[in-house]
Amino acid sequence: MKQSTFKADVLPYVLLLPTFIILIVFLFYPAIETFRLSLFTVHPFTGAERFAGLYNFKNIFTNSEYLHSFGISFLFTLAVVLLGLAFSMMIALLLNERIKGMKYYRSFLIWPYALSPAIAGALFNFLFNPANGIIGYFTGHRTWLTEGSTAFLIIILAAVWKNLGYNIVFYLTALRNVPRDALEAASIDGAGPVRRFFSITFAFLSPTTFFLLVMNTTYAYFSSFGLIDVLTEGGPARSTNILIYQLYRDFFVNSKTGYAAAESLVLFLLVVGITVLQFQTTEKKVHYQ
Amino acid sequence: MKRIVILLLAVTMLVPALFAAGKEEEKAVKVDADAPVTIEFWHAMSGTRIELIQGIVDEFMKKNPNITVKVQYTGSYNDTLNKVKSAVKAGNAPQVFQSYDVGTLGLIYSGIITPVDDAAKEFNLPIKWDDFFTPVQSYYKYQGKHYSMPFNSSTPLIYYNKTLFKKAGLDPENPPKTYADIRKAAVALKKAGIKTPVTWNLHSWYFEQMICLQDAPFVNNDNGRGKELPTKALINGEAGKKVLDWWVGMEKDGLFLDVGPGWSNHRAAFVSGEVAMVMSSSSDVNLLTKGLKEKGWEMGTGYIPRPEGAKGGVAIGGGSLWMTNTGTPEQQLAAIKLIEYISSDEPQIKWHKGTGYFPVRKTAMDKLKTAGWFEENPNYLTAFNQLLDSPESLNTAGALLGVFPEARSIIQSAIQECYAGKSVQQALDESAAKIDAAMAEWNTVIKQ
Repeated sequence: MKQSTFKADVLPYVLLLPTFIILIVFLFYPAIETFRLSLFTVHPFTGAERFAGLYNFKNIFTNSEYLHSFGISFLFTLAVVLLGLAFSMMIALLLNERIKGMKYYRSFLIWPYALSPAIAGALFNFLFNPANGIIGYFTGHRTWLTEGSTAFLIIILAAVWKNLGYNIVFYLTALRNVPRDALEAASIDGAGPVRRFFSITFAFLSPTTFFLLVMNTTYAYFSSFGLIDVLTEGGPARSTNILIYQLYRDFFVNSKTGYAAAESLVLFLLVVGITVLQFQTTEKKVHYQ
Repeated sequence: MKRIVILLLAVTMLVPALFAAGKEEEKAVKVDADAPVTIEFWHAMSGTRIELIQGIVDEFMKKNPNITVKVQYTGSYNDTLNKVKSAVKAGNAPQVFQSYDVGTLGLIYSGIITPVDDAAKEFNLPIKWDDFFTPVQSYYKYQGKHYSMPFNSSTPLIYYNKTLFKKAGLDPENPPKTYADIRKAAVALKKAGIKTPVTWNLHSWYFEQMICLQDAPFVNNDNGRGKELPTKALINGEAGKKVLDWWVGMEKDGLFLDVGPGWSNHRAAFVSGEVAMVMSSSSDVNLLTKGLKEKGWEMGTGYIPRPEGAKGGVAIGGGSLWMTNTGTPEQQLAAIKLIEYISSDEPQIKWHKGTGYFPVRKTAMDKLKTAGWFEENPNYLTAFNQLLDSPESLNTAGALLGVFPEARSIIQSAIQECYAGKSVQQALDESAAKIDAAMAEWNTVIKQ
């Protein structure tokens, strides 16, 4: 099929201009400025800069605490992405059944996405905080958030829960595109529900899964700051101090602009790297209709 | 000939200096104290305190009809400081802002502020520092000069539940004073059925105060107040070790409930009767008294505990008001008038009654005493007495370091590491080394 084209020289650019202005002002300029600052040490008040070469990078990569943050961020992301996708796919499958009142169930399961991470953190705080958390009260176990290992698990749980709605919406839409006749044909051929799911449904969901894989990775690396600030402040003893939280502290609390800029660049490269890797490996297994 | 040339040179050198001197004088004369002027005041006090501050400023504007003050709540201390920094860079800084105690050394070296004493001298508006409580004004004095105006001052206090004390067979009128006392009381309370009788939030402030109580320094170079910037953290000495041995020891023996960081968990645990003793800011008196009253319990207050025989005292905490070095002379004049007014008796009394922070002046305190305020509210007196009983020294004036916020998170992590089993000495040694590195870096960057 031949694609139709508009014959205009200027108009498309004029129409694109607003978008570009916004991108340049809010995205490209700050990003480039951040990359530049990663090569400087910056006065905490006046912003006076002094060129420092790779000083910031050398220092963060020889700091065992930063390397620790690096490691737990990776674990955190892995857990959030795997659990998040598995749960939301399961829930979306259930929500795709025809049951009375399904509309309401759907809304209830999607609403966590409407909350800001800080509010989600506050909700989990009601459940788990050591002074008067509901779960602490009923189980008699109070140290959910004050012991490193359980605090880490709760942060993962909260991050997964917070993003469920987003994933479910996409999966529900994708499930509508799974052709019924293919499923029926498979049933007639004697395929059980498990076989039907893995051979047909899962294959049809693969583009969405891939998209969500990329989005959830970005989410886990960049957006869980609010949860951590409310629930643990990176503690106990740095066990939930993931990269984005360390970055926040270095810039907004410790006023170390140079370090924070270097850390943003590292985080940026990391996520770009992971995404490229995902495109090169996983996307080959994706089946587009 | 040579002489004439030299003479000419000398004259040409002198002339600009004369003009400059003339200009200086012109500037001082030129300030029109009655001209209409608008200034901005950014603060970090949330909730009902927003209206309280607005009320105080309204009163000020009534007294100074030519001055308009735009008051704005700009988030936490930290947020406010960040906003001020970016506003200075963007050229629209407020003339007055509030900052926390631990931001003091940074602001002194920031290059964005005018010291209060300098402004007072320039506009010939002397401030009666003798009226202020010594610990309050000595905190904000650096090498003989006051840099900011004390505003909201507090110290930590011990709060205890008298009703639960009675139940455990403890004397409710005699609060525990030493580390050993607290431990003994905790053991008795535990026997009486309170699972974990003591708590306070994970905050380095208590650790710092308990070092002051032993009259020990927090950092070198006169506790950060000397000619040279501090370079070495002294937290891993005898004093720091004593504090954590006791604190962490109680946690390990199940007498202390670890409620994590933040300011709500320990209050909640105290008000619900989960614990019978907490340490918290003296500005919590109102809140905690009310909380216990609702349950029909009585609350007592005491000095924060010290090891037997320690001779130090508490250092002041809280915040103060700073002037930026931006704006016209008229605005600067209005700014210093505003902060001087806020620190005066009437506003301070209003502020104290509304929040629980101390009035910063002795004169305000005398007025409260005469009015019988402390007979009705004896718990407010504890905080005052604790402050007045503190001897004056560089250690009790409070430490100054540029990386205080970072040092605090390092110390808080160290305490959590101790809970998880690390030895106190090792945790403190490691923290001291990290703070040293941070200070060394800051000391270079701040001069660039």
